[in-house]
Amino acid sequence: MHLTIDGHTVEVEPETTILTALRQAGANVPTLCFDERQAAFGACRVCLVGVEGAPGPLPACTTPCRDGMVVDTHDETSRRVATAIVELVLSELPVAPAPHTELATIARSLGVVAPRWPGATHPVDHDTRHPYLAFQHELCISCGRCVRACDEVQGAFALTATGRGFTANITAGLDSGFLESTCVSCGACADTCPTDAITENTLLAL
Amino acid sequence: MTDERFETNVSTTCGYCGVGCRLEAHVRDGRIVSISPALDGPANEGHTCLKGRFAHQFSRSRERLTAPLIREGGGFRLASWEEATARIVSELIRIKSAHGPDAIAGLASSRATNEDCYAMSRLMRATIGTNNIDNCSRVCHSPTSFALRRSLGLSGATGSFSDFDAADAAIVIGANPTEAHPVVGARIKQATLRGLKLVTIDPRRIELADYSVLHLAPRPGTNAAVMLGLCHVVLRDGLTDGAFIAERTEGFDELELLLANYAPAAVEEITGIPAADLEAAAHVYGEAENACISWGLGVTEHKYGSEVVQLICDLALMTGKVGRAGSALLPLRGQNNVQGSSDMGALPDTYTAYRPVSDEQVSQSFEEAWGVPLSRQKGYTIPQMFDAAVDGRLKAMWIFGEDVAQTDPNTTHVVHALESLEFLVCQDIFETETTKFADVILPASAFLEKAGTFINAERRFQLVAPALDPPGSAKTDFEIITSISRALGHDMGWATPAEAMDEIAALTPEYGGVSHERIGRHGLQWPVAADGTDSPILYEREFSLPGGRARFAALPYKAPGDSADAEFPVILITGRRLQHYNAGTMTRRTANIELVDGDWLEIHPDDAERLWIETGDRVSVRSRFGRIETVARVTDRIEPGHVFTAFHFPEIRTNLLIGPSADINTSCPEYKVVAVDVRPVSEAAAHTPALAAHS
Repeated sequence: MHLTIDGHTVEVEPETTILTALRQAGANVPTLCFDERQAAFGACRVCLVGVEGAPGPLPACTTPCRDGMVVDTHDETSRRVATAIVELVLSELPVAPAPHTELATIARSLGVVAPRWPGATHPVDHDTRHPYLAFQHELCISCGRCVRACDEVQGAFALTATGRGFTANITAGLDSGFLESTCVSCGACADTCPTDAITENTLLAL
Repeated sequence: MTDERFETNVSTTCGYCGVGCRLEAHVRDGRIVSISPALDGPANEGHTCLKGRFAHQFSRSRERLTAPLIREGGGFRLASWEEATARIVSELIRIKSAHGPDAIAGLASSRATNEDCYAMSRLMRATIGTNNIDNCSRVCHSPTSFALRRSLGLSGATGSFSDFDAADAAIVIGANPTEAHPVVGARIKQATLRGLKLVTIDPRRIELADYSVLHLAPRPGTNAAVMLGLCHVVLRDGLTDGAFIAERTEGFDELELLLANYAPAAVEEITGIPAADLEAAAHVYGEAENACISWGLGVTEHKYGSEVVQLICDLALMTGKVGRAGSALLPLRGQNNVQGSSDMGALPDTYTAYRPVSDEQVSQSFEEAWGVPLSRQKGYTIPQMFDAAVDGRLKAMWIFGEDVAQTDPNTTHVVHALESLEFLVCQDIFETETTKFADVILPASAFLEKAGTFINAERRFQLVAPALDPPGSAKTDFEIITSISRALGHDMGWATPAEAMDEIAALTPEYGGVSHERIGRHGLQWPVAADGTDSPILYEREFSLPGGRARFAALPYKAPGDSADAEFPVILITGRRLQHYNAGTMTRRTANIELVDGDWLEIHPDDAERLWIETGDRVSVRSRFGRIETVARVTDRIEPGHVFTAFHFPEIRTNLLIGPSADINTSCPEYKVVAVDVRPVSEAAAHTPALAAHS
């Protein structure tokens, strides 16, 4: 099937998502909850794009291409919503994410410097009992990437989302830490985490 | 992606198991601070396990060997490279002139690169003049190599791990991938969650058994009967691929006759597997459009291990499930380069690509390249080396990257052999049980410190690049071997491992198109044509045997080398655990020790109750060959009458229990069936002062 991305015609296989199609075409939109090693999740809404005829912006990662679709990655509404989302996400963190993290990289690419919304931030809560893996709970943005890495890449099913709303966070086992959970220490969670809410103990000091 | 925390990032290949994960090593202040998986790694696709990702601190351990050591008096003293080299040269020349070149033997290492192994085999063949060169695949997958060559033609997996994603069904026999090959284990697990019908065959209820449609638990040592039973049902129920058998194979008639004896009821007698389960398993495999079979050391490390691999090939051949995507035979090779060390000819009977040393044309091509006459006589295998050392025929050994005194079977015999040698060179990164017997210890380099290539279990050449310098005055194995060869009078003439690979490619048609440059980030799966075309799938059109036909093997079940009796009523199986790797030389020197700090003996609740053993109790395990003490853990993951332990900790010395029984074709030791007696150790005796005073 064919679709138009930013004015260029692109040919794709059926069931291709807009995100895959636009990356094949050399275009890009930022993503936050997306990891190519996992099934698309569609939670963060940072990859929104404009699609002709759609009632509003659509997430590129979960929307399948249709023949004749016209996609605009520079759609103003989409970019404005995505930028606001990233700014809101940052506003919950007590410290700015480290420069190397995906969240910081996306914020830079969208021109989000410091969030305009002061208010409550997550309390600092570190767990370094595991010899390698560290939690920095205050940096968790509930994107679900670590949970999906644990389920879909490793298959250990050790991590789970916990809490609701502002207190939503991530936990290993029954809130028992990595060591007491079914964790096999593969580190796929730390590898995918876009904020270092899960990282390596050795990297905490750097 | 740039990362302000790291000074350099080096793409390399993992040095633990045979999966061959591509890794990104992140370096700061001369240390690895983090390792992440390469997103484009063909075997790991952005994933790795806790060994590859985290267990790297051993590389900067204070216990690393940083200077040569020479035996003096009762201990070792530091020496310069000049002195160590001079000692090695004078001793090897003395022994060679007094006893001939065949009084010297070398071991290459399946942990080291292809270039290291090739250099080591050239050192023994050209510099010393003997074919006494072997590597540790002898004690793990030599039966696989033998059987695949016999049945199909080439010594390697017929496909890639990605075949699990394309398969409808799979059999995993004698392997515990989620612990020993974790990234493949995770891949198989994910495939089952998507609907792959998995059959696990193992005496233990391994983790993947929980994800399988069927788990068969045969008695240890009865794999041949299991495979014959599966073949019987496939034939009986018309699940064979007649056209494939007729057009692409030979020898089926003989197998057909043999299979008559292996009806499910008869197989149940031998293996203990319920006949209905065996029939169901045969249908899962036989009815699948595409299916893979994977196996590990639970198949090979038996008296008839190589025959079982041939029977595995039989099952795949009679159903036509080989030579296409999704239908592959995928041995789970143990070590990072156990495929490559043998491919490179670090074997007593073959040059590169398994071409016999007796082959006149091949030998002449090497004689021409190396400029020396070469022996046409087969050398010693590892077990033969130890026998020859005890007999006094072998006087000197050079052991590179292998701890034979901890990992080889029949430890008492190995130690006797090492003590009998006049001269022993050990080349390693740490002092080990084996280096205790050395005359010269050479400080070598870990995989994070060297350049070269490994070949993974998918036959894929992958690049290894140094992220660190060797510590102190330690050198790379390549530099050690080539410089000592030069001192011995044979200059190999390579400045870099890449030049050695160019020579390998020039002398080996199967690897003709291989070069470091071509391998790049994505690797090359041999055979590699001169133009660089590689071979992800073998045997798409024909097998690499005369006439292009695969060969069925009609091999009856025979009892294993050991069996339970009144004195030794329990069967011991040994294997690996997730957190540690083989002799534990590396993983015990990382924080993995905080995750698992010792071995234990798994024992079924029924046996434990009968023997008055509880989890945490100290137990004695005695076989016909030795005795160890360890700690019990009661679990119903093992069948009654069997016990299991690993061999990662030198203080336990599990391999003291293993006897000389070995595969009939390849002398791979029978680690997996050892009759033992298990009993609790009384705590009181050790605390009795009168006894302690006499001990």
